[in-house]
Amino acid sequence: MVEARGISRRFGPRVALDGVSLLVDEGEIVALLGPNGAGKTTLVRVLTGLVKPDAGEARVLGIETWDCPRELRARMGLVPSGDRSLYLRISGLENLMFFGRLHGLSRREAKARAWDLLEIVGLADAARLRSGFYSHGMQKRLSIARALLTEPSVLMIDEATHDLDPEAATSMRDLVRGLADRGAAVVWATQRIEEIRGFADRVTLLRTGEVAFEGTVSQLVAVAVPRRYVVRLRNGSAAARELEPALQDAVRGRATIAAAADGDAEDFLLHLAEDAVLGEVLASLTAADVDVVACREERSEIENAYLNLAGSTE
Amino acid sequence: MTSVAPHLAHGRAAVFRAESRKLAAFVRRDFLIAWSYRLPFVGEWVGLVLQAFMFYFVGLMVDPAKLPTFGGSQVSYLEFVAVGIALAAFIALALGRVASGMQEEQVTGTLESLLMTPTSPTTIQIGSVVYDLLYIPIRTGVFLVIIALAFGLDFTLSGLLPAAVVLLAFIPFVWGLGVASAGTTLTFRRGSGFIGLGSSVLILFSGAFFPLDLLPGWVTTLAELNPITIAVDGMREPLLAGSGWDGVGRAVAVLVPLSVVSLTAGVLTFRWALRRERRQGTLGLY
Repeated sequence: MVEARGISRRFGPRVALDGVSLLVDEGEIVALLGPNGAGKTTLVRVLTGLVKPDAGEARVLGIETWDCPRELRARMGLVPSGDRSLYLRISGLENLMFFGRLHGLSRREAKARAWDLLEIVGLADAARLRSGFYSHGMQKRLSIARALLTEPSVLMIDEATHDLDPEAATSMRDLVRGLADRGAAVVWATQRIEEIRGFADRVTLLRTGEVAFEGTVSQLVAVAVPRRYVVRLRNGSAAARELEPALQDAVRGRATIAAAADGDAEDFLLHLAEDAVLGEVLASLTAADVDVVACREERSEIENAYLNLAGSTE
Repeated sequence: MTSVAPHLAHGRAAVFRAESRKLAAFVRRDFLIAWSYRLPFVGEWVGLVLQAFMFYFVGLMVDPAKLPTFGGSQVSYLEFVAVGIALAAFIALALGRVASGMQEEQVTGTLESLLMTPTSPTTIQIGSVVYDLLYIPIRTGVFLVIIALAFGLDFTLSGLLPAAVVLLAFIPFVWGLGVASAGTTLTFRRGSGFIGLGSSVLILFSGAFFPLDLLPGWVTTLAELNPITIAVDGMREPLLAGSGWDGVGRAVAVLVPLSVVSLTAGVLTFRWALRRERRQGTLGLY
C-alpha cells in the first residue's frame, strides 16, 4: 500500500534522504525510527505528496504521491509533527467539522463524526473550547482525530505521542492498532524507541538520511550487543570509591568498572571490552572475594540497538 | 459510529458541485475566526465611520465649484468622495485579505493540512477569501447607506443596483490582483509589498478622493485608463447623476475583460507558486 523506492532529497547542501526505500503492507504498522534530523519527517512529507523527491519513486495505493490526486488524499490521513496545523481561534469541534466538510461530508455527517472522534480521543468535554486553549497534548489528540475523519486506508503519523501523557499515548496507539487491524497501512515516525515494542510490526531506522536498519523489532534487538551493565556488589563496610582499585585489578584487560554515578552505593558500572564475555568478568570479580548480587543491562536491549544503529553510544 | 466513507464526486459537474459546497465551510470558519476578534471586527466599522466624519469636515472647506457636476447638478464633496472612500476601502481590504489569506494559512501551518484534504487548490484559494468577498461588498453597501442617511447625502436610490453591478464586475479584478499577490507571497514570503504599492498608486490616480481634472493633462489621460477610475465613475454616475443603466454597460464592458485577465493571471501565478513550493518542500516554511 505504501511503497518508496530509492528516495533521495536534498535541501540545499544538506542531504535529507539518500536512497531510502520503505514498504508498508495492508494492516501493517511500520515504525520510522531515528534521531532528530534523520529524515523521518521528510520521508513522511514525500509519502504524502507535500515534497517532491529529487530521485526515486513514492507510491501510495499504487498512485504516485507527487501527483497526489483527490482520490489518494481522500484515503490518506496525516498527523503532522508540529502543533500548528489547527485553527486555534475556533473550537475543536469546529476544526473537525471544517475538515470533515473538506472531505466531502455533509454538515450533519461532519458534526456527528466530529463528536464521535472527540469522544474517542477524550476531548468531548473540551469540544466547544477554542483549540488555542488546548494543551499541546490535547492539540495532538485533535490532530489525530482529524486524520481519522474518514477512516483512512493509509495513515502517516509524525511524532504522534510526543506531547502525550503515558495513558493518552497508550490510548492513541490502541486507536491506531485498531485502524491497522481493520486493514490500514500505518507509517509511525518517532524518535522514541520505547513506544514501538509490542506495537510496530516492522521498523525502519534512519540515520542521517539513510536506512540503517530494516526488520522486525526482535531483529532490531538482536543486532544490539550490550556492553554496559550495572552490577550490584556486596562490599561490606568499604565505600564504593575505596573498592574501585581492587575491582579494576580484578577485571583488568577485559573490562573497566567504576562506581555508578547515579545509583546506590553498591552499584557499579561495568563496561566490557570488545571481546570480553560477561560471565568470565563476573567470575573474576567473585574470585576476588566480591559478592555479585545482581547484574542488569544499563539500557534496555531495544535502546541499545537504537543507539548502536543510530550512531550514538551515549 | 457514523459513516465515514470518503465522499468523492465523479464527473465534472458533480465535482464542481461538491467543491462549491465546501465554500460554505470556509465561510463559516472565517466568520467564526473574524468573530473571535470582536474588537477589530467592531473597530473596522468605527474606523470607517470616523473616516467619513473626517471627509465631511474636509468637505466643508472644499469649493463645490471645483467638483464635477453629475447629471447637471452640483454635488457636495462628501457625496463626491463617499463612493471613492467606499471603493478604496473595498480595494484595500479585499486586496489585503485575498493576498494575506493564503499567507496566514502558511504562517499558521494550516496550509499543508488543507492540501491533505481531497480539495482542489483552486477551491482552497477561493475558500480562503470567499468570506471576505461576500462580507466586504456588503460592508461597502452598508457604509454608503449609513453615511447617506447620517449626512443627508442625495444618492439616487434607483442607482444602487446599477452601481452594484459595476462593483460586481470590478470584484474579480481586485481578486485577481490579490491572488497574484498571494502567489508572490508564497514564493518570496514578503512579496505583497509591490502589489500593495501598485494598488495605492492606482487608487491615488483614480479620482476616488479628488477630481482627475486637478491633475496635469497627460496624467488625467492616463488615469482615465485606470480600472479603478472606470469603476469609481461607473458607480458615481448612477448614484449621483441618476443616470440609471446608461453608462453602466460601458464600464462593465471594460471591467469584465480586465477582470478575466486579472483573475486568470492571478490564478496561474498562484498555482505556479504553490507547485514550486511543494517541489522545493518549503510550503510549511515562512
